[in-house]
Amino acid sequence: MPYSELFKDHLANPRNAGELADADAVAEQSNPVCGDRLKLSLRIRGGRVEAARFLAYGCPPTLACGSALAEMLGGLTVEEARQITRAEIVGALGGLPSRKQHAAALAVETLREALKNQRH
Amino acid sequence: MRRVYLDNSATTPVDPRVVEAMMPYLFERFGNPSSVHFYGQEARSAVDRARREVAALVGARAGEVVFLSGGTEANNLAIRGVCEQQRERGRHIITTAIEHSSVRAICDALERRGWEVTRLPVYEDGIVRLEDVRAALRDDTVLVSVMLANNEIGTIQPVADIGALVRERRAAGQKHLWLHTDAVQAIGRMRTDVEELGCDLMSMSAHKLYAPKGAGALYVRRGTRLAPQNVGGHQERERRGGTEAVPLLVAFGEAARLARLELDERIEHLRHLRDRFEAGVADSVSDIVFNGDRVRRLPNISNISFRYIEGEGLLINLDMQGVAVSTGSACSSGSLEPSPVIRALGRDDELARGSIRFSLGRDTTDEEVAYVLEALPRAVENLRRLSPLYQKAQAERACAPV
Repeated sequence: MPYSELFKDHLANPRNAGELADADAVAEQSNPVCGDRLKLSLRIRGGRVEAARFLAYGCPPTLACGSALAEMLGGLTVEEARQITRAEIVGALGGLPSRKQHAAALAVETLREALKNQRH
Repeated sequence: MRRVYLDNSATTPVDPRVVEAMMPYLFERFGNPSSVHFYGQEARSAVDRARREVAALVGARAGEVVFLSGGTEANNLAIRGVCEQQRERGRHIITTAIEHSSVRAICDALERRGWEVTRLPVYEDGIVRLEDVRAALRDDTVLVSVMLANNEIGTIQPVADIGALVRERRAAGQKHLWLHTDAVQAIGRMRTDVEELGCDLMSMSAHKLYAPKGAGALYVRRGTRLAPQNVGGHQERERRGGTEAVPLLVAFGEAARLARLELDERIEHLRHLRDRFEAGVADSVSDIVFNGDRVRRLPNISNISFRYIEGEGLLINLDMQGVAVSTGSACSSGSLEPSPVIRALGRDDELARGSIRFSLGRDTTDEEVAYVLEALPRAVENLRRLSPLYQKAQAERACAPV
């Protein structure tokens, strides 16, 4: 399956790329098999994700999942953020080839790790 | 959108002169070369002409050229053909760590069936050493298979030296030792002569030479015995059964003729543009590594590793700007391991994953190179902006004492 136009748009115009100087929650996870990396920083105020930024290295699906996730997170409550699934991230990209699903898994894992690391 | 094709090592566009030469054989000259009547003989003489042209391109005799479907089939016939023919005399093959995937897969398959395979390393320059070949030769070695020019980095292997070594061993009594070279990337891009190389078998493909896909040839030196891999017809002197693909072979012949006549100017053109391209990249993009020896290589390939980013992302970014290239990243090939060729140079995984092959062709223009030199730094910058590896390196650089 070729990559969707939506997917390519995330690659060409990544949403929310970068880091937050005043982040309350940060995590960087890597896939030990292929070496892909995703770093997520979140600013959380009043139980809501006020801002989300990502950095990513690796296959295009990892980059696109980081971008899709960072875009989805803005404005969600922490509880809603915790509920985000792989399928939702894949859906936001217009689908992913089956052997690239692990990129969405890395995104979810990084998000959960960040929320765990949240400063109180 | 403007489009620039820099993937000529994957395949080349068909030369209009080649299309013109093959057209009659798609229409009125449709005969089967095995038929005795007029139509058949017309097709037969066209195939013979094509055979002479392909032979002339590589300094062979027409009778030494076996037509088949392409490079992969040529590699199969050469390697399996020799090994099966010589199975009672020895089951040891010498090859290299940087062969095309078809040669690698054929050797792997033979290994599973009991052959021993020695895979010679290359060094940082991407070139095999003659001394390593000499040291690997055994009394039961039946085949040495070393590519003439590598498909990813373009490095030219010392096949002529290896050829001299093989002849020496043969003269000393090892009569059943043969030399095969995969010249798919080399023909039409460097002077290629089977006598100078001293090879017994040489694989060629039409579609890297501005002819259509679906045709190739194996040079088989007179006296080299092969077990045919495709039986069921008397074609190609019993070496490859199946009705000849007449239009494709006519195209291959015409492409070979043009390549022979235009070789010097093609090489000059490619080298000029490639050097200009590489100078431009070195000026405009930081943290890059050129892969492979800078001198002993084909004139049309430039392989560059971009630190901190992954090749397929760069490929897609370039494609969205209309520039077509290829990458050695694992992601693209569907495997977990990045390019074995770049890894064989001793590069780390990050550099292997970030390698891009730019391969120029006879149609590439100065203007196109200039366009790519604008698009490439943009694409690299886009990805590095996202890369945690790059951000970290930048932060470290900022902190480093001056």
